[in-house]
This record gives sequence, structure tokens and C-alpha cells, in this order.
Amino acid sequence: MCREIEVKNLTVTYEDGRERFCALEDVSFTMRAGELVSIIGSSGCGKSTLLSVLEGLRSPSSGEALVGGEPVTGPSPERSVVFQQYSLFPWMTALGNVAFALEQAQPKLKKRERLELARHHLERVGLAGFEGRYPKELSGGQQQRVAIARALAEDGDILLMDEPFGAIDARNRALLQDLLLELWEGDGLLPEQRKTVVFVTHDLDEAILLSDRIILLEADASRGIPGHVRDIFTVPLPHPRHRHDLLRSPAYSAFRCAVSDIFFGEEEASSLQFARKEVLAA
Amino acid sequence: MNKTPAYKTALDVVFIIVLVIASWWLATDVFGVLPSRIFPGPGAVFSQIVEDGEKILTGIVSSLGIIAQGFVLGAACGIGLGLLLGSQARVHAAAEKVVAFLSAIPPIVYIPYGIALLPTFRASSVLVIFLATFWPVLTGTLAGVSSVDKRLIDSARVLNVPRPKILLRVTLPAALPLIFNGLNIGLCLSFILLTSAEMIGGSSGMGYYVKYYSDFSDYTRILAGIIVIGIVITAVSMLFGMLQRRLLRWR
Ligand SMILES: Nc1ncnc2c1ncn2[C@@H]1O[C@H](COP(=O)(O)OP(=O)(O)OP(=O)(O)O)[C@@H](O)[C@H]1O
Ligand SMILES: [Mg+2]
Repeated sequence: MCREIEVKNLTVTYEDGRERFCALEDVSFTMRAGELVSIIGSSGCGKSTLLSVLEGLRSPSSGEALVGGEPVTGPSPERSVVFQQYSLFPWMTALGNVAFALEQAQPKLKKRERLELARHHLERVGLAGFEGRYPKELSGGQQQRVAIARALAEDGDILLMDEPFGAIDARNRALLQDLLLELWEGDGLLPEQRKTVVFVTHDLDEAILLSDRIILLEADASRGIPGHVRDIFTVPLPHPRHRHDLLRSPAYSAFRCAVSDIFFGEEEASSLQFARKEVLAA
Repeated sequence: MNKTPAYKTALDVVFIIVLVIASWWLATDVFGVLPSRIFPGPGAVFSQIVEDGEKILTGIVSSLGIIAQGFVLGAACGIGLGLLLGSQARVHAAAEKVVAFLSAIPPIVYIPYGIALLPTFRASSVLVIFLATFWPVLTGTLAGVSSVDKRLIDSARVLNVPRPKILLRVTLPAALPLIFNGLNIGLCLSFILLTSAEMIGGSSGMGYYVKYYSDFSDYTRILAGIIVIGIVITAVSMLFGMLQRRLLRWR
């Protein structure tokens, strides 16, 4: 299975008539197969843009994105996507939306089996009983959960998620984070057998809870600085993780402290160095 | 504003109809304020409808047959072509301009060509209805296709839905609300044009019935024909409205 991701000197420029806007410049990183990496950074720093390149919906202006050593040229069944904004088909019910994904992913299924499986995926995201609702009859968070169920149904080896839990209330959010962890960590799966997940979020705690590594993007449009990689952190916590154990772990607290100083931009250059050393020591 | 329940609206409508018929009756049969030769009373008109029932029914069947053929054909071609042209950005822009010009021409002016090229007057009528439906539906479909949220197309693309299937399962339903605008205009024009065509040169249909008896100044039958035409068009529009609400219930 070739599921590692390599982004090399990626630059993305939006061009629309006379206007040119460079959203990402010279972004490079690599991800091992089976790794879960979070992309964090403030609004407008190019997280969705980066994902759209990996999704195959936008081609880079220069540089490239490779999946399994092959340049990304378009969407592929091995990459499942959850978009940032509601992307459900409004004329299909919740069940219909998930079943539609299954039509592509598993064309051999009979209609009855497909609906059965779609129902199962909705159940997994806590939407049993909502199968017959149209998207307009669901709350924003419920719609997003259908989108997650749809991506689970598609079951690609690579999962690209753009702030999937952003619109979901704290409790359901925690449930879905646990669900994602559980699905991704798997039951006795070796790390390299897991899905490769790119997880965009603006929530630092969520990033730490879930990921192996965190890529911090940064941009300053007012000074004409396009999005670029500010830092890459390795989360010093073993998988499988559990929310409760994590909150009590000193390694977690130290790491969170160090990263949040950088993330929220409160650090002095020196204290940054200090904090990072401390984390490495922990 | 609170929504009035459907049954109350129905009662109100029935009440208004009764009121209109009653005033008509009073103005003709009872007080005779209107000249009775050209304004016969409701009793005479309704018994005329019953008496001519068979003839009227044949007329309705003939008219609706022409509408059905022309409308279904025009709608299918308009939607199909609109989806194909609309999905190519460059073709779309040009098509919109050309269609704006062509659809401005009232289809009835093609009747001479219809008569010259087609075997029967009926076929010419179908052609007129076809065009009356085709242009507005094509216009509506083109507008509908450009109104489709790009994120929905992207959703389908990352699900690896093949292009033709995206057109059918995503673009078409997403464009449907604006397609229905075109269909409604087409249906409305179809009835106007068909009735006119039947009055000009037809030998059957609801318009022909009115035209035929107007040559004899038979105002009882003229009025009977007018009322039947009104009822039939209203009934078809209501059925079509139901279809529209059913297909767009997700909105
Ligand atoms: N289609 C576009 N045309 C022009 N500029 C765009 C376009 N899409 C995004 N941008 C710009 O590119 C930059 C990055 O946008 P992007 O959507 O990737 O940000 P983001 O990090 O996902 O932000 P958020 O957290 O708010 O979702 C922003 O400054 C945005 O204004
Ligand atoms: Mg975004």
C-alpha cells in the first residue's frame, strides 16, 4: 500500500482576472503511511488551499504533492474527503447521501445491502433515526456528521478532513474525536496499517489529542506574506490515547504549554527555545 | 403572516365562485342588465356544456394530446441540451447570448414553415408547442447549471463520480428549481399559443370549438368553451404544480 504523502515546495496562487493572490508559498513536508497529522493555523493561512491540492481539486502553481510517490492529478478513490463547509447533496436524504458515496466506492453492492451499510455508517456517527431527513432538516453539526459518515463509507486509505468538527457542539465533538481515534487506531492495527489522515483544525487541544505530528501554518496577508510552514511538532504521546489519561499526563501539559505559546504568539524568541527544549526533555 | 390552512382557502375559493356565478345569474337571467344575446345566463351555458359533453371532451383530448407531445419533447430537448451546453464554461457563455435572441421570437411565427414542411396542421401545432417550451426550458436550464454551487460538484468529484453521472445526479437536481421556472413559462405559453393556433387554422381542439361557434354568433357555446378552457388549464397547472412541489420538496 502506498499511502505516504510528500509535499514538495508547494506554491499555490489564486488568479482571477487581474488579481493574483499567493495563498501558499514553498510548503514542504512528508507524512509516513498510517500517520495522523494535524494542520493548524489561524483563519486564512491556507489550510483549505493545501487540502484542495491533496484532494486533487486544484493544481499547484509550482512544486508538487505526491501520494505514494505519484503526483496528485485529480481526485482518487483512495482519498476520502470531509469538506469544511456543508457539502451534502440537498436533494438526497441523510441515508441517500451516504448511499450515493457507496455507489461509487462499492459498485457491486445490491441496493438493499448499500442502504443497510449506509444506515450502519450513520449509526456510527450517532445519527440513527435521522436517515430520512433532508440536509435542510438537519442542524449544521448533524449535516457535518453525515459528511463524516459519507467519508467513512467511502473508506479510502487516506482521509483528508477540513475542520470536520468545527461546527459541532462540545459533547458530540468529543464523541466524534473519540470515534475517529478509535477507528484510526484500530483494534490491534500496526501503525503502518492505519489510514493516513490529514486533519485540519484550528483547535490546538484537538490537534494534540489526535495527531502524531502537528504542522503549524502561518501567513500575514497584511504584509504580503503567503502561507508557509512555521513549525512542525511531534506530539510526544503514545497511541492508543484516551482523553482522560491524557488530561492527567504531565507530558501532555508540558507539550500543550509549549505549543500554545507559539500558536497564540505570546512567546519571546528565547522562551520559545526554552519551551521546546523542555518538551524534548519530557 | 400566519399561513391560512388549505381547507379554509378551499372554502374561500368555493365561496367566491358561488358569488361570481350568483352575480352572473342575477345580471342575466333575473334582472337582465346584460344583453342576453351575447351574455347568456349560467343555466343555459352549463346545460350547453353537458349537452355538448362528448364534443367538448374530444376537443380537450385533442388539445391536451398536442400539448403533451410538444411540451414533453420540448422539455426533454431543452433540459438535455442545456445540461450539455451548460457544463462547458466557454460554450455556456456563447449559448446564453444566442438563446436569448432565438427565444425572443414568438414561436407562432414559425407556423408558415410548419405548414410548408409538415404534413398536418396538428404537426405544425406540435412544432409550435415544442418551440414554446424548448426555449424557456433551455434558458432556465442554462441559468440553473450556472447557479449550481461549485462545492457540490467538488463533493461529487472527490467521491469519484464519473462526469456523465455528475451531470445527471448532481447538476440536474441542483439546477431543477430554475429548470422549473422555464417549464412553467413553457406550459403557460403552450396553452396560449395552442388555443390561438386552433382558432386560426385548426379543425379540432378547444380553441376551434370557440372559433367555430363564434362564426355562428352562438354565444352560449362561446362562453361554454371559454369556461371549459379555463377549467382545463387550471387543472393542468395545478397537477404540474404538485409535480414541482414533489420534486423540489428537499428545498
Ligand atoms: N478562490 C479563491 N480566490 C482567491 N483567493 C482565495 C480563494 N480561496 C481562498 N483564497 C485566499 O487564500 C487564503 C487561504 O485561504 P484558505 O481557505 O486556504 O484558508 P484557511 O486556512 O482554510 O482558513 P479558515 O481557517 O478560515 O478555513 C485566504 O487569504 C483566502 O482569502
Ligand atoms: Mg479552511
